[in-house]
Amino acid sequence: MKGVFKINGKERELTFKPHHTLLDILRDNGYTEVKEGCREGECGACVVLLNGKLVNSCQVLAASVIGSEILTVKGIGNLHSPHPIQEAFVEAGAVQCGFCTPGMVLATYYLFSKNTDPDEKDIKQALDGNLCRCTGYVKILDAVRLAIKKMKERENEKV
Amino acid sequence: MYEIKWYFPQSIDEALDLIKLEGVIPHAGGTGILKSRLLEKIKGLVDLGKLPINYFCEENGEIKIGAMQTYNDVIENLQQIDPDSILIKALSQAASTPLRNRITVGGSVSYFPIWSDIMGPLIALDAKVTLLGENAGMYDIRYFAKNRLLRRNSLVKEVKFEKDRWRSYYFRAARTFFDYAAFTISILAKKDKNLVKDIRIVVTGCARKFSRLEDLEEELKGKETQDLNFDDIFKDINLEFRGKRHGSPEYLNHLFQVELARGLSKIFGD
Repeated sequence: MKGVFKINGKERELTFKPHHTLLDILRDNGYTEVKEGCREGECGACVVLLNGKLVNSCQVLAASVIGSEILTVKGIGNLHSPHPIQEAFVEAGAVQCGFCTPGMVLATYYLFSKNTDPDEKDIKQALDGNLCRCTGYVKILDAVRLAIKKMKERENEKV
Repeated sequence: MYEIKWYFPQSIDEALDLIKLEGVIPHAGGTGILKSRLLEKIKGLVDLGKLPINYFCEENGEIKIGAMQTYNDVIENLQQIDPDSILIKALSQAASTPLRNRITVGGSVSYFPIWSDIMGPLIALDAKVTLLGENAGMYDIRYFAKNRLLRRNSLVKEVKFEKDRWRSYYFRAARTFFDYAAFTISILAKKDKNLVKDIRIVVTGCARKFSRLEDLEEELKGKETQDLNFDDIFKDINLEFRGKRHGSPEYLNHLFQVELARGLSKIFGD
């Protein structure tokens, strides 16, 4: 079957099988920043923003979201123009093997889209669907706090 | 595995016709279908995404939740009108943030999977389930949960319950935060000065799938809360559990007794 999706701001027509997940079609079409981990919705490596909501792409059947807007970690910033959250993860040293990082960054992005002044409980709940097998979570939580500080500063500069 | 055919109905009548086809089932959020590997057995999926069953409203003292509302939708909407609701406590602990953005109320109520955190609170709230299709009508959630045949050629339209001021407590027996619950305890209570005015206690995950502890509720009603001895009163209350990864039936029953006492102590402590 075929379907049009708006991925990172660009419309793309993709061909896929009826049982394929959103994760399958994204990776098959070059969006390898969306990582394949457990395929059971437990690790969060494959999360994307689907119409503004954080979802496990391995738990979404692609056919059910034809016409939707999808944002991957490359859609919020890149090497030459990183998003403050991506900068914060680098500065805080929150990246070891890097496999969980796209998911962690997007979970932070989603948190800030809902709550611009999150407390510790909010941060931990926002990351409750993302597992890291290398670093533990200290540096990751440091990165999220730093990212929030950076984004607040950016918001204040706009005002 | 069959080559699955997708259907995208634009109306409820169209959807009801489609789910009558052999091997064709409704698709809401899809998490239950993927978890239970149903894709290997079915011939078609009817996507409910375009049907007018994604709503949340308060009407005539009742809260009505459309079947396509996700857990996070319900949390956000309830926070506006009833921030102490037991449903917020329960659904906030269910699965994870990205999964709560996909798991729907209708899907959970239809399948009542073992990992569901929604059924205990809904049973405690005496919720009603509205069905469309072959078994159209409004059903008490306990009756609905026990009668699986009601789901035949039918769709869940909404779940509703009375908006009321309850003290609430919710406990899920899990080994880690991200774990299926062995059982859950939902308690709703009302106090009139120091008297237990009303109370509802529901356990899910026991051998009978769910149990409302009506004998205990009757025993507690009208009692002075300061006279309740939480360490002794529950020793004779036993529930049958099946052995699970979480522990043996005896262990789960003991854990249930301890957590029930702890819950009641919390709910009546000031």
